[in-house]
Amino acid sequence: MSIIEARGLKKVFKQAVKDPGLGGAIKHLFTQQYREKYAVEGIDLTIEEGETVAYVGPNGAGKSTTIKMLCGVLVPSGGEILVDGRVPHKQRMENAQHIGAVFGQRTQLWWDIPVRESLTLLRDIYQVPPAAFKKNLDGFTELLGMESFLHLSARKLSLGQRMRADLAAALLHDPKIVYLDEPTIGLDVAVKHRIRDFIKEMNREKGTTMMLTTHDLGDIENLCERLVIIDQGRIIYDGKLQKVKDAFARERTIHTQLSAPIVGAEELFADMPEVAVESSAGDEKEGDSVPSLSIKFDRFRCTASEIVKRVMNHGEVVDFRIDEPSIEEIITRVYEGQLDSAALSEAGKGRE
Amino acid sequence: MSVASFKKYITLALCSMQNTLAYRLSFILNFLASFIGLIAMYCLWQAVYTGRDQLSGFTWEQMQAYLLVTFFVNSMLSYYSESSISGKIIDGSVMMDLLRPIQFQKARLAETLGSCVLEGLLSCILIGTAAVFTLGISLPQDGVGMLQFGISMLSSIFVKFCIVYMSALLCFWTTSSFGIYWARTSITNLLSGALVPLTFFPGWLESLAMALPFQGIVNTPVRIALGMTGRAEAWQMIGVQWIWIILLWLLGRWLWSRAVRQITIHGG
Repeated sequence: MSIIEARGLKKVFKQAVKDPGLGGAIKHLFTQQYREKYAVEGIDLTIEEGETVAYVGPNGAGKSTTIKMLCGVLVPSGGEILVDGRVPHKQRMENAQHIGAVFGQRTQLWWDIPVRESLTLLRDIYQVPPAAFKKNLDGFTELLGMESFLHLSARKLSLGQRMRADLAAALLHDPKIVYLDEPTIGLDVAVKHRIRDFIKEMNREKGTTMMLTTHDLGDIENLCERLVIIDQGRIIYDGKLQKVKDAFARERTIHTQLSAPIVGAEELFADMPEVAVESSAGDEKEGDSVPSLSIKFDRFRCTASEIVKRVMNHGEVVDFRIDEPSIEEIITRVYEGQLDSAALSEAGKGRE
Repeated sequence: MSVASFKKYITLALCSMQNTLAYRLSFILNFLASFIGLIAMYCLWQAVYTGRDQLSGFTWEQMQAYLLVTFFVNSMLSYYSESSISGKIIDGSVMMDLLRPIQFQKARLAETLGSCVLEGLLSCILIGTAAVFTLGISLPQDGVGMLQFGISMLSSIFVKFCIVYMSALLCFWTTSSFGIYWARTSITNLLSGALVPLTFFPGWLESLAMALPFQGIVNTPVRIALGMTGRAEAWQMIGVQWIWIILLWLLGRWLWSRAVRQITIHGG
C-alpha cells in the first residue's frame, strides 16, 4: 500500500459576497450571500514510501490546502485520504504522531523560550525516547549548524535560523512523512543549500517520505525526482521531472566559438526552417574577443552532432557548449497557461 | 490517560509558566491595573458603609474580605491566559497545535493552570500586603474550612477556564475576539458576584444567577472563605461546581469538534 493515497480530494470554502460600498455592507448584515470557491477540485494523488515529491503551482492553486488536508488540519469537503493507513482528519492525534510539517510562514517553536527548550518540549509531546532525542538533536545541530542559536528564543532568530530550527523541530520524532510548505522561502543561498542538503540526507538515511511545495525551482531540481503541478485546484501534471523536460524543453542552443568569422553563416541552415542562427563577429575593438555563432534547434528534429558537423565544415570551432531551458522556464510557461494541459497530462501518463 | 501522555501536559504547563515570566513586565502591569480597580471598589464600598453596620447581611469587615477574596479569585486566569487562547484562533496558529499529538482543550487547560500558579502567587503577595492595612478580616479559622476554601478555589479556576475556553472558540465564527471578550467579561462579572455579592440582587436575578455556572467562579469560594456557609452546604456548593465543570467540559469538547470543521486557514 502506498504511504499517501488521496482520491477525488476536494475542499470548498465559502466566500462572502458583498455588494460594494456601505450599502452593500449593511445589506450583508441581513442577507448573507456566499459563493462557493473550490480550493481543491478533485485531486488524485499516490505517493510511495521514501519518495521526494515536489508539489508546485502558482499562488492560490490549492497547494497548501492539499497539504493541510493531508496533515489532518483541514477537513476535506469530499473525497478520501489515507496517510499511512489512517484518515488524517479523523485520527488527527495518531496521524500527528507520525508526520512532521514545516510551514514556512509559521513557526512551531514557542516564541518566548529558547530553541533548545522548545525542542525538549516537543520531545515530551511526541514522547521521543531520551536516547533517540539526544542522537537526533546532536545530529541536527551539526547538520543544520544550529549550535550558535540553540540558547536564543525563537523571537530573536533570523529567518534562516528560525527555518533551520523549525526543520529540526519537525523531524525530531523521526516522522515517516514530512510535509514542507515553502521551506526555503525568503532564505539566502547558503541557508537554502544547507536546508536542501539536510532534506536529502534525511530522505537518504531514514527513508523519510518528503512532500514539498515551493516556488523555488532550485529546490525541485535539487531534491525531487517527481513533480506534481497543480493549477486552479486540479493536478495538471504528475510525473518524472525528466519527462517534463523531455516534453517541453526540446529546445537546445549550441554556442560555438570560431577561429574566424564564417561568411554567410545565417544561410548555413537555410534548408532547416526550425533552426535559428545568430552570429556575432566579436567586438574587434576589444582585441581579445572571438567570433561566435549560436544555433537554436529542436533536439528531436535534428541532433547536436548534425549541427556541429555543418558548422565545422565551414570553419574551425574553437570551443562549444550546449544550453537547455531551465525547469524554471518550463514551469513559468505552465503557470502562464502557454503549455497545453492536454499535452501535459499526456506526458504525465508515461510515468509508470 | 497513561503517565507518558500526562507528562506532555505537565511540560506544557511548565512552559506556559516560563512564557508568563518572559512577559513579566506586562504581566505585572496588567496585575497592578486590576489592583487599582480593587482600591477603587474598596473606596466605593467604604462610602456606602458610612453610617451603616451592615448591608444585606454583610458587615463592613465581611465586605472587605469579600473584596480581597474576589480580587484573588478574579486575578487567577486573567486576560493574559484568555487572550492566548483566542489569539491562537484569530491569527491561525491553532493550525500548529492541530499538527501535534495533543488535545487542544487539555493543552489549553494545562497552559492556563501553569500561568495560574504565577498569578496566584503574585496575588497572594499583594493581598497579604493589603490585608495588613485592612484589619479584622474574617477568614475561616479551622482546618476543614480552609480545605473547603482551597478546593472551591481550585474548582473555580476550572469553571472559569471552561467558560473562557468556549467563548474563545466562538472566535472561529466571529474571527474577532474583542466583542466576545467584553460580553464574556461583563456577564461573568455580573453573574459570578464579582461586582456585587449575589445576595444584593433582586430575588429573581439572584435565583437566575444561582442556576447558572458563573456563581461557581466567585460566589462559591468567597462565601466559603467568609464562613457564610455551613460545612455541609459548602460541600454541596463544591459539588455543584463540579457538576458544572463536567457539563461545561463536555460542551467545550462538542463545540471544538464543530469548530474544527469551521477552520479556514488561508494562504496558498
